[in-house]
Amino acid sequence: MRTATILICDDEPSLRELMRISLRQDYTFAEAADAAEAIELVDAVHPDVVLLDVMMPGGSGLTVLEHVRKNPALKDTRVVVISAFAADRDHLAAHDAGANSFLKKPFDPEELESLVEQLLGPRN
Amino acid sequence: MVGSAGLAVIVAGTFAVLLVAMSDLRSSNNAQARSKDVSTATLELERVVNELDVSLRSFVVSGNRHFLADWQKARAALPPAVARLEQHVAAQPEEKSRAIRLAMMTHDYIHDYGVPLIAIYQLRHEAARSPVATKEGLFRIDAIHKQLGTLLAGENNLASARAASAKREATRAVGIGVAELVITAALLVLFSVFLAHGVVRPVRMVAAGASRVAAGDLSTRLPEQGSPELQELTEAFNAMALSLEQGQKALEAQNEQLRQSERLKTELVSIVSHELRTPLASILGYSSLLLKRAFGKDDTRRYLETIHTQGRRLASLVEEFLDVERVEAGRIELKEELVDLRPLLEEEAELISNEAPRHRVHVSVDADSLLIRGDGDRIAQVYSNLLTNAVKYSPDGGVIEVTGTVDGLVGRVQVRDEGVGIADEHQPRIFTKFFRGEARESGFAGTGLGLAVSREIVEAHGGRIGFRSVPGAGSAFWFELPLAPTEDAPVSTPR
Repeated sequence: MRTATILICDDEPSLRELMRISLRQDYTFAEAADAAEAIELVDAVHPDVVLLDVMMPGGSGLTVLEHVRKNPALKDTRVVVISAFAADRDHLAAHDAGANSFLKKPFDPEELESLVEQLLGPRN
Repeated sequence: MVGSAGLAVIVAGTFAVLLVAMSDLRSSNNAQARSKDVSTATLELERVVNELDVSLRSFVVSGNRHFLADWQKARAALPPAVARLEQHVAAQPEEKSRAIRLAMMTHDYIHDYGVPLIAIYQLRHEAARSPVATKEGLFRIDAIHKQLGTLLAGENNLASARAASAKREATRAVGIGVAELVITAALLVLFSVFLAHGVVRPVRMVAAGASRVAAGDLSTRLPEQGSPELQELTEAFNAMALSLEQGQKALEAQNEQLRQSERLKTELVSIVSHELRTPLASILGYSSLLLKRAFGKDDTRRYLETIHTQGRRLASLVEEFLDVERVEAGRIELKEELVDLRPLLEEEAELISNEAPRHRVHVSVDADSLLIRGDGDRIAQVYSNLLTNAVKYSPDGGVIEVTGTVDGLVGRVQVRDEGVGIADEHQPRIFTKFFRGEARESGFAGTGLGLAVSREIVEAHGGRIGFRSVPGAGSAFWFELPLAPTEDAPVSTPR
């Protein structure tokens, strides 16, 4: 059984690392610091889960989400939007764009861990 | 006003003409009456003359005294009959002369014929009854009758002429009267049309305008025309509508300002919470993990360092927000020190280079030193803000060109990037606090405070700040500060 691939998209290096160490399972990680890089990587690695920041240089994380939802090859990709914009409308925008889940910053590392495990389901 | 006066004049004229026509008619009637009087007097005189003739001849033929009494009675009736005729024809010269001739002829008949004939009869009956005497009488009476006939005929002609004239006058008067009535009626119609046009319609127009204003259309204006009173009314109306409109516009502008500041407030809350949540996410996340899990010594130290860095970032964010407050309240406190900008430009550039591996920062200063008098930390804050913006808004990396130049008494610092630039429509507002243009939508984090605070700091130093930007090609931000007088010796290095 192959290990699940997690793509972490955030322009803050310290937060990317925080997400990575929060997930103790044996995952394969890919990291993107901006929207363009994220789009490149989802097409390249077909991640199982994308942890997606909204406010990134070069474009909103929601454009990455839209890109994922448009690509039939990525129909099984789960997307968790993790945003410091935590108003209801930001939550709704993420939901409307096709996010599977929404976490607001600051987030609890253990909550992130269990959420990812839950999204990956019995595969692991 | 003028219209009604005109109408009054016209109606008065109409009645004046009618009165003249009626007076003509009346004088025509008077003439007719006089004519009748003349005829009556003539016939009366004729009757008296006949009486004289008949009674005289009857007496001479019969000798009956009774006829002599009739003669005497007729003689007595003659002068008043003649006088009455003369009185009635006094105004007509031709008739008057006929009447005078009649008076003479009747007088002659009595005195030259009648009275002598009676005297002759009493002397010799037969002589008085002689054909000569009889013939003389008949001749005289006949002449009188002819004269009377002429007078009567002339008067009849005159009378019929007058009657015709009177009829004409009457017809004319009726015609004039009818015409006057028609004209007056037409004028009344015209006047009511004028009233409708000049008064009723404008009043309706004002009423309709008022309804429109009441319904909320404050742009309603009425044409200022018509009589002076109406003009006054419409002018007052328009002034009222204008004042209402201006009042409403002022209110709307105030409302718009309130809405804008409300939007700005919402935006501010969103920005502040976003900017605070990002470092908080690191601090809380790492500390939570450190408390719950065991890490190696090196990792632990690294995570603690991250917590520390992010804590400081949080602190400086709070400081930035407070700065705005201080700057706005005019409570910004500047140190007064001699600062050389040259080393400052190089040091800050090196710091930012470490954090932006995809950018190359190039610094060139065209003088040995750029000495200014002011607060080195604040100037560094401004410069650092321009550098941070240059990095942030050129996400694909590239060259950041910093130049320091001396221009007369002014030192100038410019930071040029090859980034996304600023849309033309946002350029006028970029020094407005919390204004971020499309930065948020484009994924650029920030508070929208950096440039607003920078401008306050530069201006507090007596300097200027500005920029040039080409959307898609990059921006060049600069600030200028007065150079310190040359006698000031360079003694300190900032920071």
